[in-house]
Amino acid sequence: MKKVLALVLAALLSAGFLSGCTTEGDAGDGDQKLWVAALESAYGSEVWKEIAAAFEKANEGVTVELTVDKNLEDVISPQMKSGEYPDVIHLAVGRTAALTETMTKENAIRDLSDMLELTVPGEDVKVKDKIVPGFLDTLVTNPYSDGKTYLAPMFYGPCGLFYNAGLFKEKGWEVPATWDEMWELGDKAKAEGIALFTYPTTGYFDAFFYALLNETGGPDFFNRAMQYEEGIWDTDEANQAFNIVAKLATYTESTTVANANDANFQKNQQLILDNKALFMPNGTWVVEEMKDAPRADGFEWGFTALPAVTEGGDRYSYTFFEQIWSPKKAANPELADKFMAYLYSDEAAAIFAKYGAIQPIEGVSDMLEGDNKLFYSIYDTGAKAAMGAFATTDPVEGVSMKDALFGTVDSIVSGQKTVEQWKEAVNQANDALRAALK
Amino acid sequence: MKRRKAMSAETLFKIFIMVVLVVFAITIIVPVGWAFLASIKENSEFYGNPWAFPEGFHYQNFIDAFNKANMGAYFMNSVIVTALGLAILLVVALPAAYVLARYRFRGRKILNVAFMAGLFINVNYIVVPIFLMLVDANTLVGDTIFTNNLFVVGLIYASTALPFTIYLLSGYFATLPKDYEEAAYVDGSSYFRTMVQIIFPMAKPSIITVILFNFLSFWNEYIISMTLLTRDSVKTLPVGLMNLMKAQNAAAQYGQMYAGLVIVMLPTLILYILVQKKLTQGMTVGGIKG
Amino acid sequence: MDKQKGRGRFAFLCVAPATILFIIFMVIPTLQVFWYSLFKWGGYSDEGKTFVGLQNFEKLLTDAKFLKSFQNTVLLIVIVTIVTMFFALVFAGILTREKIKGQNFFRVIFYIPNILSVVVIAAIFNAIYDPSQGLLNSILGLFGSLKENPILWLGDRNTVVFSIAGAMVWQAIGYYMVMYMASMSAVPESLYESASLEGSGRIHQFIHITIPLIWTNIRTTLTFFIISSINLSFLFVKAMTSGGPDGASEVFLSYMYQQAYTNSSYGYGMAIGVIVFVFSFALAGIVNAVTKREPLEY
Repeated sequence: MKKVLALVLAALLSAGFLSGCTTEGDAGDGDQKLWVAALESAYGSEVWKEIAAAFEKANEGVTVELTVDKNLEDVISPQMKSGEYPDVIHLAVGRTAALTETMTKENAIRDLSDMLELTVPGEDVKVKDKIVPGFLDTLVTNPYSDGKTYLAPMFYGPCGLFYNAGLFKEKGWEVPATWDEMWELGDKAKAEGIALFTYPTTGYFDAFFYALLNETGGPDFFNRAMQYEEGIWDTDEANQAFNIVAKLATYTESTTVANANDANFQKNQQLILDNKALFMPNGTWVVEEMKDAPRADGFEWGFTALPAVTEGGDRYSYTFFEQIWSPKKAANPELADKFMAYLYSDEAAAIFAKYGAIQPIEGVSDMLEGDNKLFYSIYDTGAKAAMGAFATTDPVEGVSMKDALFGTVDSIVSGQKTVEQWKEAVNQANDALRAALK
Repeated sequence: MKRRKAMSAETLFKIFIMVVLVVFAITIIVPVGWAFLASIKENSEFYGNPWAFPEGFHYQNFIDAFNKANMGAYFMNSVIVTALGLAILLVVALPAAYVLARYRFRGRKILNVAFMAGLFINVNYIVVPIFLMLVDANTLVGDTIFTNNLFVVGLIYASTALPFTIYLLSGYFATLPKDYEEAAYVDGSSYFRTMVQIIFPMAKPSIITVILFNFLSFWNEYIISMTLLTRDSVKTLPVGLMNLMKAQNAAAQYGQMYAGLVIVMLPTLILYILVQKKLTQGMTVGGIKG
Repeated sequence: MDKQKGRGRFAFLCVAPATILFIIFMVIPTLQVFWYSLFKWGGYSDEGKTFVGLQNFEKLLTDAKFLKSFQNTVLLIVIVTIVTMFFALVFAGILTREKIKGQNFFRVIFYIPNILSVVVIAAIFNAIYDPSQGLLNSILGLFGSLKENPILWLGDRNTVVFSIAGAMVWQAIGYYMVMYMASMSAVPESLYESASLEGSGRIHQFIHITIPLIWTNIRTTLTFFIISSINLSFLFVKAMTSGGPDGASEVFLSYMYQQAYTNSSYGYGMAIGVIVFVFSFALAGIVNAVTKREPLEY
């Protein structure tokens, strides 16, 4: 009996050691290895495998080691803490784990100016000239406002309000062009037992607010708000935005708040498919996300920019984009640049487009298909594009603008906080973060 | 007449008790059965009424969980880590608990208090320091053998389980009468033999309880393994499960997720049913007398 | 003398491995947590890692969100302990004292929630608390219409913590019940017999015989309640509400994670870790002292 036990134990021990030793990758001499870490977002993980294969084919002797994960932050941050940095990271700002934000705050991201000067492989145009103008001078790509690009724009998509176009046709309703029309529609829908509005989680208010601030105050006002200007949230423009959201809160479907969390948010998205609510703020990924979900007869995705504040006023749609970047401590900066430049080639763009991932590069509109045609045409049909996000600051303990400005919406909807309390929380965060601006 | 009345009060009481017990049992059986049923639903069925019965037996979920989500390999890793953790824990904790409970020596009091305080240390905040320590160890030997190593994780599982295990076991050892050891010593038995052959067998119910408790916690653990086991070849089941869970902006694979949940849950249920009889005996914590 | 020496050596050899592992993997990391809590540090590069002394703790005192998480944690410890303990004691009393059909069956079934992973429990309770299709609102709907104003179990700032407590209680009852059963079954039958002869009823016996005799056991479980409530509340909150709505269900460890990782304030997060440790240790000490009684003999 004892012997058996000893044997089992010995076997287990050696298994433990073996598994520790065999995991080391074995790259041959002279071969170059590139470690790419990418978020598995709405476009799946296959797309990255295909890109990696294509890059390897085009570059003899290069092996791409891929880490693709839905919770990419959980996988790579321990490794980065231990000093192993991926060469290229594809991620998005605004995610709960906020890894990109942390890396920016820590000055741990490499300046990509050299990469942008590279010529796109196989083409005769520089990377910076191939990227659609405007995408390279936002607070997201240039977080320190020092004229340098640290995060390169990748898959983009317009954000706005999604609805069931089939229902609007059936009822003969017009999609509102102003907020006043919106409220009218809200009352009409209420009579039929349909709520005007729902939202997946309060996190989705980022794009919503960015667009709304552009509408109430214009791009310059928006940028000042993003830089935490003193007193900006006490202005009339900000008040107008607060009041619109507060009014919208009264039109919000009654169960929304209970499901507005990471575990249940899809129940809120389902409200649109079931004709229980008319509009929700979202991004183009939602189509893929809800593809298996049952839906009302005649359902058809519709998409619109935010209604204008005044008759004939500007309408905005926030442009959400994911980013690609390279940590300062990555081992192969040159190869990383080469890889990133490759991502902007027509060849790579075609692979991405096949999976519905659209990059902001010249000529990409020819690659659009299906629902995407409608979504991406939003800027052609009058809506203006809003871009950018809150400027990067040093971390301030216990203070988060995201919580103050977006998170509080839950309490406004449930009626458990007043607009005054909301403004006060935003003002406090605004003051604390301004002091920590980089 | 009087007697009959008393009888009916008695019956009423019994019925009331029975109803309460049955209701609570139902609140357990229904949801657990629900989780099993959910694992054979198709993805589209998850958006409707959560309490609806599955429309068919969609066992493809399990095939997908094993093939696409790699749960088979993760399962093996979990088995290895859990077995290692348990083996190390028993080898280390049993003698320590025994001696701490029944021997008087210098430093005993300090050790008892220290292990007691260890109960309050939470894995959630020490995991990063542990990780950084292993990274330092890597740099020291110039190799990365300490991270992504199932044995190291088993060792850490055992270490973090020590305070509770020692507490539970020494509580039990303390209740045993001294006579057994004294008789053994008179017969010329060594300290070691006495411990292994006389005392440990008597502690069987407690040992089984310890195994069950720690099996549950090692098997379901994901914070340590998520941080220390990042290579796909060494990932454990709960971490694999996390990746099946829905994440925002990505299509959810509910069917696969619940299949994964069932795969994680089954071994714990089986083990529990095997050892449940011994469980009540082994849970005498803190003794009955002062 | 020689024997004494051998005894000492044996004791040393038995205790040493456990002590070494304990020091390496628990004591040292904990000391490091204390050390990191004195820094302003994002957790990645050493650049910008500055020693700030006790500043992190000062800030915690005025951080409304931390105080909220503190309050929620305390509330959960109190509710979960009281409710769980009540049901666990009553069930244990019934199952050991009364002759009931299927006793064994209940004992086995009641323990099952404890072996389920929190993810399963959270999924189950998300389905129970769902405002429109959930079990709870459906049942309450039988007594009156909730169609217009469904109860938002997880969406109301005032109910969310109690909803989480409900799930935690459900999960914990069986565990403590089995623990109490173990000690109750050791209470000699003769005590109950003589009490019956004196005409005391069930409830009287339960309060005056059973409870006092298993008092040490109850005291011990109080410590377990404190430790496990802190830990489990984090897992439940993470899987059920992610701290929402609007931070209303944030608890100690979830807020620690949010600060240490999401808000790039690792040092600050570790300061919360220190408070969690000190608080739970102190609370257990106080509870232990307050509940001290002369042990009863039988």
